[in-house]
Amino acid sequence: MNQLRHVGKSVKRKDGPDKVTGRAVYCQDVRLPGMLTGRILRSPHPHAKIVSIDLSKAKALDGVKGVITIEDSKGIKHGFVETPRYPPDQEVLARDRVVHVGEEIAAVAAIDDITAQAALELIDIEYEILPPVFNPHKAMQEGSPEIHPSHPKVAEKESFSNIGGKTESGWGDVEQGFAEADYVREDRYESHLRTHGYLEPQVTVAHWESDKLNVWTSSMGAFNKRAKLAKVLDLPYSSVRVHKAYVGGAFGGKIDLYSHEFCAARLSMLTGRPVRFVASREEIFSAYRHGQPLVVELKTGVKKDGTLVAQELRIINNAGAYRGSGVVVVFLAWGFTMAPYRVPNLKYEGYSVYTNHTTRAPQRGHGCPQVRFAIESQLDTIAEEIGIDPIEIRLRNARVPDEELPNKDNVHQAGLQECIKIAAKKTNLVAKYGRDRKSPPQDTSIRRGVGIGISSYMSGTLIYPNGSGVIVKMNDDGSAIVLTGAIDLGQGAETVITQIIAEELSLDMDDIKIIASDTDTTPQDIGAWISGLTYVTGNAARQAATNARAKLLIVAAEQMNVTADDLYLDNKEIISQSNPDNRLSYREVIAASVANHRGDTVIGEGFWRTMRDEPNHPSLATTKGRWTENYAFSAQTAEVEVDIETGEARLAKALTVHDCGFPINPGLVKGQIDGQVSMALGHAFMEEVMTKDGYTLNTSWLDYRMPTIHNMAESEDADVITEQYEVGQSYRTKEVGEGLVSGILAAIANAIYDATGVRLYSTPFSPEKILKGLRELERHQK
Amino acid sequence: MILYDFEYERPGSLKEATALLNETGGDAQLLAGGTDLMPNMRVEVVTPSLLVSVSGIEPAAPEKCADGSIRIDSLTKLSDLVDAELIQNELPMLAEAAHTVASNQVRVMGTLGGNLCQETRCLYYNQKHDYQFVEPCYKRGGDCCYPFPGNDRDVCWAVYMSDIAPVLIALDAKLEILGPDGTREIAMADLYTGDGMNPFTLGTAEIIQAIFVPPVPERFGWGYHKTTVRGGLDFGTAIIVIVLQLAEDGETCCWAKIVYSAVGQGPLRPTTTELSMEDAVLDPALIAVAASQEISPLPHHGFNKGFLRENIRVYTERTLVSAIECAQGKI
Repeated sequence: MNQLRHVGKSVKRKDGPDKVTGRAVYCQDVRLPGMLTGRILRSPHPHAKIVSIDLSKAKALDGVKGVITIEDSKGIKHGFVETPRYPPDQEVLARDRVVHVGEEIAAVAAIDDITAQAALELIDIEYEILPPVFNPHKAMQEGSPEIHPSHPKVAEKESFSNIGGKTESGWGDVEQGFAEADYVREDRYESHLRTHGYLEPQVTVAHWESDKLNVWTSSMGAFNKRAKLAKVLDLPYSSVRVHKAYVGGAFGGKIDLYSHEFCAARLSMLTGRPVRFVASREEIFSAYRHGQPLVVELKTGVKKDGTLVAQELRIINNAGAYRGSGVVVVFLAWGFTMAPYRVPNLKYEGYSVYTNHTTRAPQRGHGCPQVRFAIESQLDTIAEEIGIDPIEIRLRNARVPDEELPNKDNVHQAGLQECIKIAAKKTNLVAKYGRDRKSPPQDTSIRRGVGIGISSYMSGTLIYPNGSGVIVKMNDDGSAIVLTGAIDLGQGAETVITQIIAEELSLDMDDIKIIASDTDTTPQDIGAWISGLTYVTGNAARQAATNARAKLLIVAAEQMNVTADDLYLDNKEIISQSNPDNRLSYREVIAASVANHRGDTVIGEGFWRTMRDEPNHPSLATTKGRWTENYAFSAQTAEVEVDIETGEARLAKALTVHDCGFPINPGLVKGQIDGQVSMALGHAFMEEVMTKDGYTLNTSWLDYRMPTIHNMAESEDADVITEQYEVGQSYRTKEVGEGLVSGILAAIANAIYDATGVRLYSTPFSPEKILKGLRELERHQK
Repeated sequence: MILYDFEYERPGSLKEATALLNETGGDAQLLAGGTDLMPNMRVEVVTPSLLVSVSGIEPAAPEKCADGSIRIDSLTKLSDLVDAELIQNELPMLAEAAHTVASNQVRVMGTLGGNLCQETRCLYYNQKHDYQFVEPCYKRGGDCCYPFPGNDRDVCWAVYMSDIAPVLIALDAKLEILGPDGTREIAMADLYTGDGMNPFTLGTAEIIQAIFVPPVPERFGWGYHKTTVRGGLDFGTAIIVIVLQLAEDGETCCWAKIVYSAVGQGPLRPTTTELSMEDAVLDPALIAVAASQEISPLPHHGFNKGFLRENIRVYTERTLVSAIECAQGKI
């Protein structure tokens, strides 16, 4: 019997009413008595030595309660990655040297913003300017200004400068592969600098009280923040409590420890008063972390029928001033390369290069959009050169169910082939493809085109804290309290967890209240940033409910004089299948448990960890080890319109056909899809962080152009269901929250080519580039 | 957040406002809708010590005068301008231009007078200079130009981006200016100096009180185009306004005006091209080439000169076609 009442349904969000009525408490709403305002002094130089800092005037200003520099820290470093190969590399405030504009040097806590700002202006710093470097290719050259020494393991073999880290991987024999290929092509693709665009700014409130640090901070995972804060403050985890607050978007930008979080904590410890930091939007654009622009040099060899035989990639990441997630993205770019298509011979090199830009963070997709844009663009070019259509070349190479990947991962019930077929059919792609290029319409300057892009994404991997726990506490009346460390940053984590527990325990959604994301009161959780929350925390929730359910059944069986396997749960009652009149309410069962089981109030515990047999995350340097146990797959098509006189292009329609395993909440899945289509079209046509000499030129929402509702394209989607959910069984859901920026971005590029014949090798797809391409085509035709 | 202290006054009349501005001198600023001033104060492009708010003064509704011209109070909110029936019927181009400004939230705050007097814009100039671009540029009283280091001293290529000013110039509007010594009237085009350092001819205590738009002649046609990246919210990449009158034959152009905004230190006009359009049957493609070559668009906000010129060419042609069809009664 697998009739699901809650799971698989688009139930309304648990957080919806709070958010639409304005009751939801975000960090910025947290106001504590006596709270001070914090502000940060930032570097005006991209690269400079700090010769001296004079705080005396700032400290003497009326209303200033605390001023700190690195001297007020314990000097413990932190890093986005903290492994033996990549040990922590960042101080909490600059020491002796600054390596990007906006780097944090000192912080002030004062009674109000104006006083805090006045204090910053009274801090005297003497700098010795050092030469900066912004272009990763220049930074790699020997003799270029050294931001940090190249990683010793890289420096052993190569003479490049400023290499923060390198990923090298591959299999087979690429030389042999290219020799056997009927057609080989080399291209270079470049992506541009974009930012997350979270609407809620970075906010932290810290309050040191009774030897305990209480923190409210806008984040993507409370336990990761606690670990890093406790570490740099040299406090036991038990002395740091990260409280729950609603999060107004993150998209990868709120994972790592930020300097302002340390500053809030340290200043509160020094002043004994709560301290709040709110980053201005200008600070977020000019000094905080953005995504990662990659250069992808790509060589591919195919047989006449389109079968991939060899691929060689060299990826250069302009990774900014510290290691950040720069070394992660060059690892992930390998994964996003190898997951969707079979490539028997692969050679992969990814360099993470220090430059005097701000440090980089993951951004929704974390390298996948950049890589898929390159591979999918080139694949279309190759298909045309060898005379097959874009669907055929993809079907020829796409993974099939149960394939084992070279890293020993398995794609299980991969729905990629089906995704491609459905996308092709729904778009009528093969029939439409090339139409406006073959017979351009005469009465209009608008050209229409269609394109496809596919991608695959991992669904959870092993990064601290690696596992999630969930506790279900039954109340005497049969309702339940759920404790989970999961953070709901808009994706609907609390709703999905509630659905699962409601399903497993046959409760109504309203019978369940969630206490979430509080490091003192909830179990540890992996956080909402490795695309595994619904799978990992969801399975922990399912197990906790199963555990509570088993306890209820044992007690009920005793009371009802039947065996537990004769019983089933229905609407807060336990009923005998053989005699449906024999039934007990949860209230009665729990009372009996308390009475007869030494006060057991029925608490269910659940835990989950992905890849339970793997000790840790695969090597970032070599990719050895397993990466994930669930791969999501998708095929996306874009229909675009391009004005060939102005170069203006727009996405008219997007189609996403995806295999997320099984959608626990189809409405939330649809929300993720539409959000990613909107983000991809911003990526394609509008958004760009413009910089010059390390300074950011567009530091406002006005000039960093995110799409508005009017720009949103029609977005259709279709599920390819490859997994099932059954009560009492573990389940396999796949990622749906970030992988879908990628295929659609590539599809847009391919559709622009289809409309105009202009092949774009860099994002964004601006009217200038399209016009330039059209002019070149005209010259070529003459 | 505005991180310094300032005084705030809210007089009951424009006369009192101009008196307050006059007393305080250049350090005071008139605050109408605040949609231009507030962001500029936030990044400290301007740091007035006194704000003279006119929010307590109710604007008169647009009205038709005895001579057929339409009087619009300068404090009219842009959203009211968009919605006013008189404007929609008599000056549809003005309603359309006002509707392209930013978003509804901005239009319900922003006033017509404020839109005309908005500061010029540049990605460097509109920045807080605390750790970004620490040295002030020419326009901020300093000694450099970040985007155009080769520019002569005290030359600022920040662009004037009003969506509405080119329309009022094309319509031959007059401005009634209130100052400490009473009122004076100027032609709309004379509001602008053409100098990005000091874009306006207004004195420190002068306020635009009203805008008068004369009636349009028979067989009048207009076209308006604003290129943007994303439609809503954006300032224009380039703004193109064309008005013309056709002769009785419905083909010959009697006169025409082309006004560009967002691509110069003030609104720009290709006057030679305009002259060539007098008493001529127009070839939109040729005129578009001539007009786009005659003006020199300033690169701004990441758009280079060549791209802007090409965009202006294409949309001048399209806008002109549309203006001609309008005059012919086809649209």
